Amino acid sequence: MTENLPQPDGLAAPAASAPEESRGHGQRRVVVVDDHAMFRSGVRHDIGPFVTIVGDAEDVPSAVAVITRTAPDVVLLDVHLPGGGGAEVIKQVHATQPEQKFLALSVSDAAEDVIGVIRAGARGYVTKSISAPELVEAIGRVADGDAVFSPRLAGFVLDAFSGAIDVASIDEDLDRLSPREREVLRLIARGYAYKEVAKELFISIKTVETHVSSVLRKLQLSNRHQLTRWATDRKLV
Amino acid sequence: MSLDRTDAPAPRLVARLPDEGWLGGVCAGIGSYLGVAPVVLRAAFVVLATWRLTGVLAYFLVWLIVPLFADAPDAPGLDAHTRAGLRTPDRPARHNSAAEWGQLIALGLLGAGLVWIVQRGGWGLPASWFGVGALASVGLAVVWWQADHAAARDLKASGGPFAWLVAVFANGATALALVVGLAAAAASVVATAMLLPLGDGAVVSRTLAALGLALVGLATLAAPWLLRVQRALVQAREAKIVSDARADMAAHLHDSVLQTLALIQKQAADPREVTRLARRQERELRAWLYGTEVPQASLKAALTDAAQEIEDNFPVNVELVVVGDADLTGPLAELVKAAREAILNAAKHSGAAGIDVFAEIEPDRVEVFVRDRGRGFDPDAVADVRLGISKSIMERMQRHGGTARLRTSPETGTEVTLEMTP
Repeated sequence: MTENLPQPDGLAAPAASAPEESRGHGQRRVVVVDDHAMFRSGVRHDIGPFVTIVGDAEDVPSAVAVITRTAPDVVLLDVHLPGGGGAEVIKQVHATQPEQKFLALSVSDAAEDVIGVIRAGARGYVTKSISAPELVEAIGRVADGDAVFSPRLAGFVLDAFSGAIDVASIDEDLDRLSPREREVLRLIARGYAYKEVAKELFISIKTVETHVSSVLRKLQLSNRHQLTRWATDRKLV
Repeated sequence: MSLDRTDAPAPRLVARLPDEGWLGGVCAGIGSYLGVAPVVLRAAFVVLATWRLTGVLAYFLVWLIVPLFADAPDAPGLDAHTRAGLRTPDRPARHNSAAEWGQLIALGLLGAGLVWIVQRGGWGLPASWFGVGALASVGLAVVWWQADHAAARDLKASGGPFAWLVAVFANGATALALVVGLAAAAASVVATAMLLPLGDGAVVSRTLAALGLALVGLATLAAPWLLRVQRALVQAREAKIVSDARADMAAHLHDSVLQTLALIQKQAADPREVTRLARRQERELRAWLYGTEVPQASLKAALTDAAQEIEDNFPVNVELVVVGDADLTGPLAELVKAAREAILNAAKHSGAAGIDVFAEIEPDRVEVFVRDRGRGFDPDAVADVRLGISKSIMERMQRHGGTARLRTSPETGTEVTLEMTP
């Protein structure tokens, strides 16, 4: 019930029809974790031809079991799950398999949860309204070890790192975005793809990816006072 | 700075932050309120404490008076998810970095040194009274500290006035700390009774004094719980008002969802209309379940309205990202009109399915970017239809002290950049 073998439709589609991102890697192995069966079957239908779905799960314990057993390239992880949410899945899996890559998916857009799941260790965040080709591309990017920032996530991060910093600030390197990182994030928030960001700033795509990964690291490691209380503060408005 | 939104002078109250502090979170709370590093306040309390324990007394008073920090209620969807265990609320991690330990040790040494000087110099309390006071302080601190941490755990999940008992005894360490605290408090009561200058033979009066002291001690120890019961009553009353308002809202939403479903069935042959209806309903639900309240008459609210209005009327998806916010002054209202015109143009003419709008609002500069990946156009050969670009956008921005830039090509689509200094 909680896991399935690859569906025939996943095998029937020739690999040649996959978008270029997944070419040359074979098909990505993906686990889908979401508590809504309707959403799981929808994803299976949408991206099934382009990736190999090796399992799915509907709550935290079954997700941890499936992921540990199948060790997929990427886990598509819902932010809200019975048993403690997506962040809990990441925590438990990373305890034994720190290299496992997660891409968070959510319908909620609540800044607190998005930042929360990224801080728990997800390599990116997209909303559930994302189109199938974009999702496949995002999966490919995460599988290659890069970060996936949607315009919305870029906006959240800019917001979280804005404002004056605590005088007794702990770590300069972690608590501030470099001007270049800020520029990259602003372009992503404006809807630019990595390729377009690279062209705009006259840098290589690899450099853009490096900047985004570095922002992700800061987001995960920064002890910045504001970052933890940021979500609460914005609610007091 | 921009985290505390300038547009909302919402009264922020002082609250203790035990998760960020060392003891009761008094210094962390006041520090965060005043914008002072907590270590300054800690040093002040330590220095005061060395003279006849004044600082200790002051600290306990503030601990008692200032309430515990409580999260504002989340959006209903998030609250529901929290209750159902679908998410783990992001609690700030208690960080005991090396620097914190260093501060702790430094302050401890400073305190000990000053105490030694004060006591040796004979300016302080007699040594025996000082010892008793210190013992009582330790006992009180341990018990109150436990009260805070039991409170933090059961504040949300509390059921009935005795829920804290369960929380306390669920944990062996907690019980041990309570025993230690109570023992210290009891010892200090006994010691005080022995030290009272009543003469040698007055056993009865000494016992009575001990009893009286024990009662006072118990009342003091229990103070956090007594106060909490009182505050819980107020909170319950406020929660009732909020939940009533939400229930009305939910009823309204359910009605509108039913309406939408009925409309979708009727319009099933028109995919465009169905998409539009579904999108509008989705947005309404999402805003209610997960949204944060945006103050009216703010730039963010105005941009959101503009984006939603166009989404409702055209088959496009407008992805709006806003960083920061500001009051909607006259020139900024014009900026919103220009932005609306740019989004409208993209929706009407670009042929793109999605439009990205990004607004970055800083105290000294506001920028709005409207981007589509549509077919672009030749700005020099703009027909009358596209008069909107020059009149509504370019000229409007110039009139109000801003600038507008246009970048367009058939490959990458169109981007309009609006900039203004409020």
